[in-house]
Amino acid sequence: MYKIINQNTEFESIFFTNSNGSITSFPKDPANTDYQAYLKWLAEGNTPEAAS
Amino acid sequence: MTTSNILSQLGSAGVSTGFKNRIINGAMVIDQRNSGGSVTIPTATSTYTLDRWFAYATVGSKFSVQQNAGSVTPPIGFTNYLGVTSLSAYSVGASETFDIQYRIEGYNTADLGWGTANAKTVTLSFQVYSSLTGSFGGSLYNSATNRWYPFSYTVSSANTWTPISITIAGDTSGTWVGATNGIGLGIIFSLGIGSSLSGPAGSWSGSSYLQPTGSVSVVGTNGATFYITGVQLEVGTTATNFDYRPYGTELALCQRYFYTASTTQLYSYIACGRNISTTQAQFLIQLPVPMRAIPSVTSAANSIGETVTGATGALSVTSDGSSTTISGVVCNYSTGSVTANAVGFIRTNNTTATPQFSAEL
Repeated sequence: MYKIINQNTEFESIFFTNSNGSITSFPKDPANTDYQAYLKWLAEGNTPEAAS
Repeated sequence: MTTSNILSQLGSAGVSTGFKNRIINGAMVIDQRNSGGSVTIPTATSTYTLDRWFAYATVGSKFSVQQNAGSVTPPIGFTNYLGVTSLSAYSVGASETFDIQYRIEGYNTADLGWGTANAKTVTLSFQVYSSLTGSFGGSLYNSATNRWYPFSYTVSSANTWTPISITIAGDTSGTWVGATNGIGLGIIFSLGIGSSLSGPAGSWSGSSYLQPTGSVSVVGTNGATFYITGVQLEVGTTATNFDYRPYGTELALCQRYFYTASTTQLYSYIACGRNISTTQAQFLIQLPVPMRAIPSVTSAANSIGETVTGATGALSVTSDGSSTTISGVVCNYSTGSVTANAVGFIRTNNTTATPQFSAEL
């Protein structure tokens, strides 16, 4: 499950938790493969958890 | 002596005229993620193992990948290899895939001219060692995965390093990524691929043929091994000597795609920045080389500590991270708190803290 967090600045970040408990955060860069997977996930009708 | 003779002589003398080998870490020397540890490949997740090499399995826990698995003597001239070990005797379904793969960035394949009438011929060479014998397989593919070239190679003697050379006429059809940071060319080494994804060897096809029909299935035999090293893809019709590069050069080439601030030293300083609230701090981390794209950042929960208050947390990348040489990161503290608007230093909070930056293809 993807989550969006506010960075308490003008930025926001998207991240997910890996099976080993580590956290991966990725930018909104079209060339970033994690962002590509996220866009595909959104296109399948999924919704990330709201910003906190 | 003709020009072609001279070039041939240069090649057989091991003289490189540049970036001859388009494969980075073809000698399997760099293993930033696992430092020689074994990785069991999970279900349906492209899992990077040794640098630049990833594995894929439709069903998880059927094979593992490890640098120098089994500790056999590498072929002459090499010190490392990528080792696959089958963890069961699995019967591969018609649409299932088990493989290791390599992807070359478009900037490093654009000169091949694939997808045009001037497509250049390439030769793929490597050394392979397996407990199994027979006809093994793999395939080349484009970024859109709608052009495929299945190739086969024979291992006649078990548990013996066997040099393999495969010459492939460049594809004059299809769409191939040019000089971009996208996938210029992909290579699959099959460990077991289903019949629906198999086809005839030795020609380009628009069908998804990930291997030649009837290729050996490594995952079909419990304990079977498949080791590979010295992988080279070069322009031309013959395999020349492996293009050895300095370790520092090879590492830097790998770091365009993956970098880990790995350390076994407790409390190693990573960066300095500013606490922007009592729960967050913002930092810049200088990356060693420009990365292919703005990287993802992975860190273990509470693996990062703030030096003054002892607050701990994990890193996340700022979404506007516009630089591929400096990564803007935020540390979100989940335990403790920091002093807002103070200068902050972050350091590793344990000996296995390894913030990772990935811009793989």
